[in-house]
Amino acid sequence: MDSQTRAWLRPCTWTWLVMVCLTLVTWLLGVSGAQGLWVALLVLGFALLKGQLVGDWFMGLHGVSGFWRWVVSLWLLLVGSLVSIAFVISSGVLN
Amino acid sequence: MSDKLVAAQVRHYPPGDLAVWILIMAELLVFALFFAAYGFTRMGHVALFNQYQATLDRTAAVANTLALITASYFVVRAVAAIREGNSRHSARWLWAGVGMGVLFLFIKGGEYAEHLSHGINLSTNTFYMFYLSLTFFHFMHVIVGVIVLVILAVKVGQGRYSAAEHADVESGASYWHMVDLVWLILFPLVYVMH
Repeated sequence: MDSQTRAWLRPCTWTWLVMVCLTLVTWLLGVSGAQGLWVALLVLGFALLKGQLVGDWFMGLHGVSGFWRWVVSLWLLLVGSLVSIAFVISSGVLN
Repeated sequence: MSDKLVAAQVRHYPPGDLAVWILIMAELLVFALFFAAYGFTRMGHVALFNQYQATLDRTAAVANTLALITASYFVVRAVAAIREGNSRHSARWLWAGVGMGVLFLFIKGGEYAEHLSHGINLSTNTFYMFYLSLTFFHFMHVIVGVIVLVILAVKVGQGRYSAAEHADVESGASYWHMVDLVWLILFPLVYVMH
């Protein structure tokens, strides 16, 4: 295996491990009955972080310049913002 | 690292065919609309959404999440292998990815069978309408992704790609990662957040 491939695979392996851990924490929060706006936003934050890792390392966008570098980040920002707004409003904290 | 090497590693386009990335963008936007619709519809039915979300099988959902992210990692290994011209290893990783994708379909299919056996369908209530529509739309994408991976695994196994010529493998891999990416949001949104 050449050094360039190894340099790409190592963060990908870490990405997979981090995603497994975050997924298990999310599941534990779900089955533990933890609830409330901050738990929901924390879980959403984990999901957005996992999405960014997939975009950067699995999709290989960390090594791309220009618009395509940010396409997944922008999508995550859009989805994260819309879902957060909906959950914040429905929680009633703004009332 | 020298500036020359850094410059050589920075690309202007993502891996694979650009047309596939335009398709990926379109798919992501459709799913973003679905997620927003779920969130904003939930605002008017918070109690109902929380009540019926609790009936879902979170253990099956976490198993499916682990299956998809592991499949994505296997596909990454397949791309790394073909970039080095190692078709045999690449095909093996792709088949492993197919296995994880089929596991996802099997688990999710079991969940659907369970819902159907309890008479749950799109018209049961607003939560189930969203849950079934969103997850089934994603389910169809997983089926397409698995078919793409099978085709690639067969062609890679036949030695049709090389270290110099493997754009199809990168395109198929990018599509598969998009399917994974969407589920990473769908899982907490539909199964956990309340």
